[in-house]
Amino acid sequence: MNIENTQSQMRKGILEFCILSIIKRGEAYPSDIVEEMKAANLNIFEGTLYPLLTRLKNADMLTYRWVESNSGPPRKYFSLTEKGDTFYKELESTWNELANAVNTLADKTTGLGEPENQ
Amino acid sequence: MKKIININFHSRVIPIEESAYEILKQYIDSLRKYFANEPGRDEIISDIENRFSELFADRLKRDATCITDDDVNATIASMGRPEDFDQDEMTAESFTSAKDKTQSQSSSQQSQQSQTYTSVSSGRGRLYRNADDKLVGGVCSGLANYFGIDPVILRIVFVLLFGALFWVYILLWIVVPSQSLQSNVTKRLYRSADDKVIAGVCGGLSAYFNIDVWIPRVIFALPLILALISGTFHALWWNWDFGFAPRIISSSLGSTLFVSYIILWIALPVATSAAEKLEMRGERVDLNSIRNTVKEDMENLRSKAEKWGAEIKESAQQFGNRAKEFGQTASSQAKNFSAEAGPVYRRGSNGFIHIIGVLFKAFFLFVGSMIALGLFIALITLIFVGVGLMPLKNYLLDGFWENFYAWGTLLLLGIPVIALLTWVIRRLTRARSQSRLLGFTFGTLWTIGLICAICLAASIASDFKSYRIVPEDVAITQPLHDRMIVKVSEPSIRFNGVWWIHSNGNGWDINADSLKLSNVKIRVQKSEDSLYHVRKIRTSFGNNRRDAENRASNVLYISKYKDSVLDIGSGFTIDPNNKFRGQQVVIEIQVPEGKKILFDRSIIGKLNPLKVRFHNRRDWNDENDDDMDFDFGMDEYFDWETNVDYIMTKSGDLETTDKKTEDNQDNNGSSQKNSYRYNKGKDSIKTKSHNSPNEKNKQKEKAAEAIPAKEVKTDKESEHAFSPAFNLIELI
Repeated sequence: MNIENTQSQMRKGILEFCILSIIKRGEAYPSDIVEEMKAANLNIFEGTLYPLLTRLKNADMLTYRWVESNSGPPRKYFSLTEKGDTFYKELESTWNELANAVNTLADKTTGLGEPENQ
Repeated sequence: MKKIININFHSRVIPIEESAYEILKQYIDSLRKYFANEPGRDEIISDIENRFSELFADRLKRDATCITDDDVNATIASMGRPEDFDQDEMTAESFTSAKDKTQSQSSSQQSQQSQTYTSVSSGRGRLYRNADDKLVGGVCSGLANYFGIDPVILRIVFVLLFGALFWVYILLWIVVPSQSLQSNVTKRLYRSADDKVIAGVCGGLSAYFNIDVWIPRVIFALPLILALISGTFHALWWNWDFGFAPRIISSSLGSTLFVSYIILWIALPVATSAAEKLEMRGERVDLNSIRNTVKEDMENLRSKAEKWGAEIKESAQQFGNRAKEFGQTASSQAKNFSAEAGPVYRRGSNGFIHIIGVLFKAFFLFVGSMIALGLFIALITLIFVGVGLMPLKNYLLDGFWENFYAWGTLLLLGIPVIALLTWVIRRLTRARSQSRLLGFTFGTLWTIGLICAICLAASIASDFKSYRIVPEDVAITQPLHDRMIVKVSEPSIRFNGVWWIHSNGNGWDINADSLKLSNVKIRVQKSEDSLYHVRKIRTSFGNNRRDAENRASNVLYISKYKDSVLDIGSGFTIDPNNKFRGQQVVIEIQVPEGKKILFDRSIIGKLNPLKVRFHNRRDWNDENDDDMDFDFGMDEYFDWETNVDYIMTKSGDLETTDKKTEDNQDNNGSSQKNSYRYNKGKDSIKTKSHNSPNEKNKQKEKAAEAIPAKEVKTDKESEHAFSPAFNLIELI
């Protein structure tokens, strides 16, 4: 058993949810998303983000529009679709359930609560 | 100082260092591979590129004039490398071919791979023949896969125990089904494609065992080299029994290693692709390492291309050379990378042809190296012999031109050896040939050497055009008792020069100012009158008549006469100015009829007359018939016995005293019963009287017997009769 494997699995599980949370708050540009996640102590590579975004877009969870910028070519700004919104709400409830469950169990074991990731 | 190129990167123009561009390109390629099966691949990559472009533009705006390696690397670091991406299993490892056994994902990996590979066996439960990696029938490979070992080991085993396992192999080939198997070996023994002198066997071995490459090379080469060196020594010193190493190393181990090299050459596949090269070194085959390997290859290629570019510039004046060079290096590179992995090679092609091809290559290599070795040994021998016989040169070569030609001939022999040595050294140190000049130089020198050799031969041959005889009378007194004794009191001529030449060198000696030969013939003829005559006849070849006469006259040959004893030298001397031109000396002794001659035992072994056949050549200016009279034929061969009296018969032959003749009508002294006991320290002379079994000759015998008796008496008288006429004989 490899701890990194497990940790990586944990991260992978919540990535989509986190991204969707950010975009839910408003239109976002991929590098902005990365910045916000960094601010929240969840580091992610841009290269991880792009495929995810594309996949979500292909699944009709996201949509984007081109925004012209004065310095250079246009950028993609992503926003949630309705389907994405619904998807997000489901994930949110799933996450809450999971968080509760884990916290309960971990509490009993260590006596300390797990820091919660937003 | 680096080259900068401009790229059109998503509608931005970015000046970027060429090396940085390479890095970027590789990264994008790795992304492509990574997202090979991703539905939105192009879009993802486009997004990422766009992001790069944006970041580069920012960078340029801030303070840079161009994008450097560091910029690219930093951007890649922040973007993340493919293996760092947090991805689902679905896309993350859909392309790797090697399994890490410790990973628990292997089974799911396999099932994913079934999307991409047509038929994949789910592992090691059943024995299959490997359809992908087969030399002949994929048996070894499948077996190896089943057991989890390198197929090469099994192949070698099968080859070595060919006889026993042959039927096993056939059986397996028939019975076991064939499947496309996934290789589950992480480190396989390959032959290296880049690092090869002959076939990359040692390179592959060194990569597998992680040792320096020269170690296996030395191991393979050492016994061979030892054997060669000791063989060379044996050739030069006949009784040199010193072995450099115990026999087992030099001979048996040498051939074992040679054979095993051939086997490895056949059995090991060549590592051409990046994945294979990684496997050869035992590194994990994943995207990262593949990328690194590809990068290394590209670096190699690029630096080679740069070198080619520089070389081309150097020889820019010679168009022809330039084109040739390009074609050469390109084709040799192509050969390196594809010839062995060509159509006659593995991955589904006929392994038999490959085996036979390798055997042929090995055979020709062997033959070629033997020839080279032979030349080499010949040259070494020549050098040794030449140095020892250096004085000989002075006697053979006359004049400036001949000397010059001789040195030129040395070129003839030396150049191929030098060229071969250079080629070998080049191969070993992997130096690239800078120009064709070396080849041209060698070729030209060799041609010059060839011309010189021809001229030398012609020149020397012309020196033997003419043949002259110079006769000279030797003053003698008539021997007492009508018997002349011929002896040679000088010691025989032997060559005792340098120690390393084992010559059965009898009959010649050479040093700086004289060449001695014992090419002396004794010719006995019947005298015209009743007196003994001795003539010293010297002969020689030469460029023309006068030249030949000159040389003949300059031959120094000593002969002394005293008291009925003709003491002739054991050889004649030639001085350096006169050169060796086939000189010969003939001592002609004319014995009057009925008189005797005796050859002393001291002659044995000292005179070595040559059988010279000289055919008459029509000499245009030749009126003189003198020199037509030389037939050195078989009758000149010295086959008389020593210490035996011979008597001259009427017909001109010599007869021994105790031999009976059957064919001679002349009864004069045809058989002698008695002969003188001549006290000069001789051994007893045969004085047998014998009976003739032949009836016919009995009367002759009787008649002959009467004569000797008379002769005995008369001899004593004749002695006195003679002595007044020749008054200097002393009887001892």
